[in-house]
Amino acid sequence: MNYLTQQLVNGLTLGSVYALIALGYTLIYGVLQLLNFAHGDVYMVGSFAGYFTMIGLGGPQNPMVPIWVMILLMFLAGMVVSGGLGVMIEKFAYRPLRSSPRITSLISALGVSLFLESAVLLLFGPKIRNYDTTDYIPIGTGIHIGGVTIEPMRILLIVISAVLMVVLILVVNKTRLGRGMRAVAYDSDAAVMMGVDVNRVIMLTFLIASALAGAAGVMVGLVYFTINNYMGFLAGLKAFAAAVVGGIGSIPGAVLGGLLIGFLESLAAGYLSPNFANVITFAALIAVMLVKPRGLLGRSAIVKV
Amino acid sequence: MRSFKIVSGLTAATCVALALSACAGGSTGSTTAAAASNSASPASSSSDAASSASAASSTPAESGAAKECTGSVGFMGPITGGAASIGAEQLNFTQLAVDNFNTKSGSTYKVVQGDTQLDPGQASTIGQQFVSNSAIFGVVGPAGSPGVDAVGPPFGKADMAFISASATATKLSDGSYPTFFRTIPNDSVQGPTDADFISGTLGAKKVVIVEEKTSYGEGVATSVKDALVKNGVSVTVVRVSKDQPDYSAIVTSVANDTDVVFVTFQIAANSQVLATQLKQQGKKAVVFGSDGSFSEDFKTPGSYVSSFAPDINGIPADAEIIKQYDAKYGAFGTTYGPPIYVAAQALVEAAQRACEAGSITRADVLAQVKQTKIENALTGGTMSFTAKGDVEGAKFYVFKINESGKPVFVK
Repeated sequence: MNYLTQQLVNGLTLGSVYALIALGYTLIYGVLQLLNFAHGDVYMVGSFAGYFTMIGLGGPQNPMVPIWVMILLMFLAGMVVSGGLGVMIEKFAYRPLRSSPRITSLISALGVSLFLESAVLLLFGPKIRNYDTTDYIPIGTGIHIGGVTIEPMRILLIVISAVLMVVLILVVNKTRLGRGMRAVAYDSDAAVMMGVDVNRVIMLTFLIASALAGAAGVMVGLVYFTINNYMGFLAGLKAFAAAVVGGIGSIPGAVLGGLLIGFLESLAAGYLSPNFANVITFAALIAVMLVKPRGLLGRSAIVKV
Repeated sequence: MRSFKIVSGLTAATCVALALSACAGGSTGSTTAAAASNSASPASSSSDAASSASAASSTPAESGAAKECTGSVGFMGPITGGAASIGAEQLNFTQLAVDNFNTKSGSTYKVVQGDTQLDPGQASTIGQQFVSNSAIFGVVGPAGSPGVDAVGPPFGKADMAFISASATATKLSDGSYPTFFRTIPNDSVQGPTDADFISGTLGAKKVVIVEEKTSYGEGVATSVKDALVKNGVSVTVVRVSKDQPDYSAIVTSVANDTDVVFVTFQIAANSQVLATQLKQQGKKAVVFGSDGSFSEDFKTPGSYVSSFAPDINGIPADAEIIKQYDAKYGAFGTTYGPPIYVAAQALVEAAQRACEAGSITRADVLAQVKQTKIENALTGGTMSFTAKGDVEGAKFYVFKINESGKPVFVK
């Protein structure tokens, strides 16, 4: 029982990360119908921003500020840098192509992804960086129930993910900006005619989506320690799959898809074979897509007749 | 509707691709599409390298007035991709060895870069390019054993000597590739050394081997497992992809009465993550890393790690080279650099001997590589090759990580 519980905790942690990244995919797809393949790399840049903030504040062993302030500043830096990067990517790589065929933007997204990976490699070198979380959050702290351990950073990750998801849902459903997003997603031409500043809405969508990815990047560093310039690729692909399985364009769907992948991966690794965890996870996802081609929470297509 | 179809198609393609890559053991792990850069880099003769001549000395090469010779050394390693941190150090050490030799001899050898991304397909393409580049008299690399399998036949046909500094699969030196050499011991040496230490000194009864799904990881894991089983130890093997970001699920599955977790990661940071997560989940098992973990990135106190050299930083003759490297490229973090320095050194010294005896042809260089004898080699002691291309008298050493995270020689 302890074994299963611990694996579920592992899955929930991993799933929360995927969900946060998947939210960005789904948000941008919902508004622009664009698959932003650079999103995983925006997440990677966020984790580097958090890392260098920590180093700037004295490093893991001698922080100049209280730990909680340092962690807060790391999150802020990750979100601000990634958010700003997202806005710039939209402005320079996607906006000029908005009226081009969709495949053009897709190629541009792949280009941005490779650009970011290589830029970080050039700027910071190939060395794998370590958040060294255990230097400031001692091993042994956290919740222990029976043989199950939940470290403080995992609790923080799960709580922050949940809070950010709720905030996002509130923003989309209850605010003027959210109404604008929904209007642009539904029919951007009509939204323009109704006085919605489409460019501003799209820019803010990128800002929010990328800031979430930045937060996810910092969380991954805090919980799983190591970061490198290629980490965005696989995480981005999995989050993309999560968004599609949940029903791309659907916010609760992205959360559900992310958590599903996290649980599947942990349980497959724990009970079947870590080597085949990805195979098992994606085979299960293919099965879901065969039964529900629009994803678990995807809306059915309404075709004009 | 159309866009939805595109999304569904892409998802299916992604799923299939991921599934396939996991089956293949994640041998590439890289997303960049960087092609082989086949441009010859100018062999700069740095003045600060002059003082290293004594450290990099080779008895047969010291034959009075050196003749000025030219030619190119091909370098094959993962300059980009998931293993770029290893490839960058290998490239830098190769360049440093060639620069130092140029300064010492007055010759102007160059390094031609070939980025394999640790992918045998890419290695094969670059191998063909190198064979058709008549300036190249020998090759340093490829980094991984699958890469050696890919270039072994064409290099053999072209009489091209190639010296790897990190391909450890035992079968590579069974005579199939007559022009293959390596400057590191193979897996048949590392396995018994580590296994005897685990079962003898540590007295372990139950061991979990975490095998990285690469030919490196598989080779070491198999060799250690066989030796442990022979010593009567109960062994469980867990295989993981090298791109796995999280080992929590594996750590959870390690039984509480496990004495040692042996890891075969090529990237030491991964061993560090696993060791930390073991502690976080309250497991008592001690982590023992293969030579891929010998790096400042693996620093969990009380862990063990093996290496092919007693202590690179402790070999007096190496101090000068390490200082030069630090000044030029910054501190190095893995154990992959020094053996490739020796490989490059063996190759240019062989070329110089061939040149002084007549001309640099690939066959001449190959014959001279077989005669290699480097005293005070960067990897410790005197380095020469056996008839099969392995290192003569190769040994492995065991270190324990101390309280400040530094490896201390144990055995």
